[in-house]
Amino acid sequence: MNGKDIPMAMLEIEKLHVSVEGKPIIRGLDLSVDAGEVHAIMGPNGSGKSTLAYVLAGREGYEVTAGTIRFLGQDLLAMEPEERVAAGLFLAMQYPVEIPGVSNMYFLRQAVNAVRKARGEPEIKPGEFMKKLREAAKLVGIPEELLRRDLNTGFSGGEKKRNEILQMAMLEPKLAILDETDSGLDIDALRMVAEAVNRMRSPERAFLVITHYARLLNFLVPDRVHVMIAGRIVKSGGRELADELEAHGYEPFTAEAA
Amino acid sequence: MAVARRIAPAPELAGLFPRIAPQLPGGGALAEVRERAWRRFLEQGLPSVKVEAWKYSRIPQQVNRPMGLARPETPPAAVVREALAGGPHARRLVFANGIAVPSLAHLGGLPQGVRVLPLEEAIARFPERVAEAFARIEDDRGFTDLNTALCRSGAWIELDPGVELTWPLQLLFVAMGGEAAAMTHPRVVVRLGEGAKLHLIESHVSGRDGAVFTNAVLQAEIGEGARLVLERAVMLDADQTLLDEAVCELAAGARLLANGATLGGGLVRGELEVHFRGEGGEALLNGLYVTRGREHVDTAVRVLHHAGGCHSDQFFKGVLDEQAHAVFAGRITVAPGAQRSDAYQVNRNLLLSDEAEVDTRPELEIEADDVRCTHGATVGCLDPNALFYMRARGLAPEVAEAMLTYAFAAEVVERMVDADLARKVRRAILRRVPGGARLETEGLLEEVPA
Ligand SMILES: Nc1ncnc2c1ncn2[C@@H]1O[C@H](COP(=O)(O)OP(=O)(O)OP(=O)(O)O)[C@@H](O)[C@H]1O
Ligand SMILES: [Mg+2]
Repeated sequence: MNGKDIPMAMLEIEKLHVSVEGKPIIRGLDLSVDAGEVHAIMGPNGSGKSTLAYVLAGREGYEVTAGTIRFLGQDLLAMEPEERVAAGLFLAMQYPVEIPGVSNMYFLRQAVNAVRKARGEPEIKPGEFMKKLREAAKLVGIPEELLRRDLNTGFSGGEKKRNEILQMAMLEPKLAILDETDSGLDIDALRMVAEAVNRMRSPERAFLVITHYARLLNFLVPDRVHVMIAGRIVKSGGRELADELEAHGYEPFTAEAA
Repeated sequence: MAVARRIAPAPELAGLFPRIAPQLPGGGALAEVRERAWRRFLEQGLPSVKVEAWKYSRIPQQVNRPMGLARPETPPAAVVREALAGGPHARRLVFANGIAVPSLAHLGGLPQGVRVLPLEEAIARFPERVAEAFARIEDDRGFTDLNTALCRSGAWIELDPGVELTWPLQLLFVAMGGEAAAMTHPRVVVRLGEGAKLHLIESHVSGRDGAVFTNAVLQAEIGEGARLVLERAVMLDADQTLLDEAVCELAAGARLLANGATLGGGLVRGELEVHFRGEGGEALLNGLYVTRGREHVDTAVRVLHHAGGCHSDQFFKGVLDEQAHAVFAGRITVAPGAQRSDAYQVNRNLLLSDEAEVDTRPELEIEADDVRCTHGATVGCLDPNALFYMRARGLAPEVAEAMLTYAFAAEVVERMVDADLARKVRRAILRRVPGGARLETEGLLEEVPA
């Protein structure tokens, strides 16, 4: 449906090969995500889902041996991590990092202003920032106390995941990659996070959701579901594919991957 | 030929005492204590690198040269104003090159049972008591003897049993460089009676560029159940040298909280010696050094559990940039019979440059069996995972690095009691850390609750 108004895909990955410490992890991956869409990636442990997420975010230590990634028409692999964020990419990490000594709120304001600055926009006014922060925190169920604490330090697993979504809401990315944001969330938190994401859905924004559970996809209905095995997408389909995986596991696809 | 364990004092230094002794305050018993200290100093000389505790220190060689004795001066008002700490009610003594400046003292309205006076005044009023206090610390450090022999100013601080000084007391030392190098030997004596409470702030700042060697000694007797908070901040210039020794003796149930931060100075050696003389004492010792250029910061901590049931905790962190060199030597001694002792020690260092250097070593002498003791030292770089995480939220790498470095150092500042001093230390950290100035202008310090 976007194809006509916006000729370019938001994210276009072609024949991607990635090695970690000399070991091929992603082995010929193709994926195209259009603006306005939600795509889910499911796959067994170790299939390379987080590797893909990190490569998209620009983490060091991942060697792209072949292939291209275009994000909003730009060569993503030529950009620094912070440039990718400024261009509108956001990764909610599977394992958010604890940063003692840097307050959550201070960090968020720095992040928001860094992105604004990179886009040539003025800094956010303190009052406006606080208003937006309170609203977003309420949406994902982060209490005020957690905003004052050091970034992720001593946060429970679920609190860390909510905090990732809070950051996403504050940074308003064009493409958000959620790497197992649902793991470790209780059922209410899951609903809240899905609700926060649903509110952010818009024709200009896309989501790439990595998950092991079809349950999240009941709340956050995807346009496409991809099965990733051994560094490749072996099958793509509609949301019913997630239920199929839930029922039969990855066994039927492993043969196709080999 | 083996290197001698002692360096003979240079002739100018060796001939100093006989020449100036007649002008030093105090006669009688004090003169004898000085004389004795001087003779010991001549016999012992200065410690060479062969002495374990001075192995990495450049200070003895650096100060063993002709230097004039400091003269009375008035430090610039702006420097004093900038360095004030302890809040609006703080009382203070100000020193220029280790000599009290009476016009800048603020000691009015001290409660009954609190005596704070410049040392020279204490010597004039009760020389025997000063002599007795001086004689209490006769160690094998040539520098303590040098201080005892040559000291002409400092502070006498005494609290009667049960008395609490609710406002901090600041000792502000301003180093005033001149045409020729000068040395000074201030002495601070602190005596807290049973149950007394004192918050002492010791600041060392530069009032004028130029070589000054400050050989300061602080001795504190903390009575039964008494509490001393001792906070010190060192912000000197690159050509200034500070050798700062504190010897604290804790009676039963006494508590000491010592927080120190070194944020400037060519050669700075902080020595902290804690003696648990009675059961149930507690000593929490926190320290930070943020160094750059060719600065050399040397920390020597000695905690001696003579009595059982005491708790000591050393927490020292350092950030080193450029060609800076830091030394941390933390010694824990638990005497036979000092059962149920708890002794902890941590030294963490962050290296920002390949040329910076850290020597860190714990020394443990545990001679009791019922003891809980842990120690750990690390030397490392910024965490790449944390750096990536911050960049993945849009922060430029230099901002992320500055923020992480600041956070590393600020962990020590969080333990500081005086908000004024903590704020100065935070600002000094930001001004020393690469990229930190930018964080300051972006309001990082405003985020810190006062
Ligand atoms: N730094 C590394 N060094 C060596 N191997 C690595 C490294 N990072 C990832 N790998 C390997 O790459 C493979 C893919 O890992 P990745 O984290 O992408 O899997 P995943 O699909 O996200 O799995 P999960 O569902 O468990 O999160 C694994 O075999 C993993 O061990
Ligand atoms: Mg993963």
